[in-house]
Amino acid sequence: MENTPFIHVQNLSYSYVGEDDKPIPVLKNLSLDIREGEYVVILGHNGSGKSTFAKLLNLVVDDYTFAEGTITVDGVEVMSPDLTDEEVLNLRKNVGMVFQNPDNQLVATVVEEDVAFGPENLGIPQSELRARVDEALATVGMTDYAHHEPHRLSGGQKQRVAIAGIIAMKPRCMIFDESTAMLDPVGRREVLETIEKLNREEGITVISITHYMDEAARADRVIVLSDGQLVLDGTPGEVFTHSDTLRAVGLDLPQCTAVSQHLITKNLPVHGEINTPEQCAEAILNAWKRM
Amino acid sequence: MKKKDKISRPNPQAVGTETGTAPSVPIMNQTENPKIRLENINYYYGKGTPFEVKALDSVSLDIHAGKLTGIIGHTGSGKSTLVQLLNGLSRAGEGRVLLDGTDIWAKPKDIGRIRYRVGLVMQYPEYQLFEETVFADIAFGPRNMGLSEEEIRERVVEAAAFAGVPADLMDKSPFDLSGGQKRRVAIAGIMAMRPEVLVLDEPAAGLDPQGRHTIFQGIRHYNRNTGCTVLIVSHSMEDMAQYCDDVVVMAHAKVLMAGDRDYIFSRADELEAVGLDIPQVTKLCQLLRRGGMPMPAGLYTVEAAEEALEAIFSQAKGQRKGGKQA
Repeated sequence: MENTPFIHVQNLSYSYVGEDDKPIPVLKNLSLDIREGEYVVILGHNGSGKSTFAKLLNLVVDDYTFAEGTITVDGVEVMSPDLTDEEVLNLRKNVGMVFQNPDNQLVATVVEEDVAFGPENLGIPQSELRARVDEALATVGMTDYAHHEPHRLSGGQKQRVAIAGIIAMKPRCMIFDESTAMLDPVGRREVLETIEKLNREEGITVISITHYMDEAARADRVIVLSDGQLVLDGTPGEVFTHSDTLRAVGLDLPQCTAVSQHLITKNLPVHGEINTPEQCAEAILNAWKRM
Repeated sequence: MKKKDKISRPNPQAVGTETGTAPSVPIMNQTENPKIRLENINYYYGKGTPFEVKALDSVSLDIHAGKLTGIIGHTGSGKSTLVQLLNGLSRAGEGRVLLDGTDIWAKPKDIGRIRYRVGLVMQYPEYQLFEETVFADIAFGPRNMGLSEEEIRERVVEAAAFAGVPADLMDKSPFDLSGGQKRRVAIAGIMAMRPEVLVLDEPAAGLDPQGRHTIFQGIRHYNRNTGCTVLIVSHSMEDMAQYCDDVVVMAHAKVLMAGDRDYIFSRADELEAVGLDIPQVTKLCQLLRRGGMPMPAGLYTVEAAEEALEAIFSQAKGQRKGGKQA
């Protein structure tokens, strides 16, 4: 068990059932491993299969007519027809998911009740429930809003409450399915900082699906999907060097990385990591000072 | 709310092309013959209740004819409220909205006609599709305008081409399309009315980079080819920098600054000070300047930054060579 990755995906292919029961292929022969504690960003254009992949990990998909290969989460084969109810519950508790639209995820009329919804359904005793809710709200920085009505919160605050509702269930892994796509820059920043904190301080494995390249720049590892296939997999620095491939699959380089790479193609001595504006500025300034 | 508006209605005599009384607030981005002029607009939500919020505070602004203008600001800065005033979807308690110099509320009964002249594409317009086919959905607006079948067809085809809706989708149900395709159908539906002003609230929200470019390029192409005045509300400074002629920056219910791109991005420090994201490449140039590099201020495109950097490096090389020779 020691060496088994937390998530192990082997030759996964998946198709939706279309008209006349014909398969609509979404994922094609995907194989990858995700280790516990990793912060992985999955990039891909709309329709690349990234959301389907996330849903499969969290057992939100229930039609396995056209599913092939295996997905193992924490040693349990999740697409197996013999899964017991207990195993399903356990998997859902361990792998939490935050969706795109902040308005579709909150169920209660008071913030702390919303956060309590998940753990309460897990049968957590009242005494512990209180502590879990308080802790979760503190982690996402929403303690002051415990008694507020969710519908009066900003988008970023709603997403943080949704995140608190999941961490109150103490998951080992969280999947963010474009959780910042509908937020403004301030909300995005709030949610990103929360995600990073969960990973760095709480050790939660994070799988974040996004279109934003600057979010990818901050992860440990970036996986690029296109038309259901794995195209690139590596650190942000490694992935961003494949600018032609990225453009070909409909993604943009972060602007700073593009500028720095352009200088490199002009044989200017720009070296080192060039994923964020700060890194790029440092690399370019160093090159300039050496001239 | 409606009744209250009536009470505080500004100057009911303001009919026709008169110039009106001189505004008390200076008009931002002022021009002669603006397509739209906002004059001393104050807008409140829940006026007179404990939840009263001033959403627009003394806004006076010109929108230039034929230009592509971006409106940017935080959530709650008043930008969505502002665009809903432009076609009379909502009405400010105080101040006037002039379209080609005429108060759009001069004849309140005719406000429906203003909505054909100023088309508004709301946020997530794909949720507003309802017809059985893509064609019927795009044709809905022109049909309501009482046009002939032939004219409707012509407009639908034209609008679909501008918005990037492929012809082979026309007979499909809009509900079978992808999110990006639905969005383009909704935009085509407004373009098909051939408005004089097209207003789009966050047209690219939630789309991938390719989808964003397709939408913005289509809108820009439409603007350049039809001469239609276009306004885009967006959170993305990078998109504004790439596609807009003019930029209006909203903060705390006021217009913080308005002008052409060069002017706006030369004030990048102020944009950052109010917590707005500046384009990443502008940020890079700022950091390089702070590091002592002679980068020009106000660069906002990757190409301009690359050009400036190449020039600086070749100058440095030249100096080094010159130094050695001496």
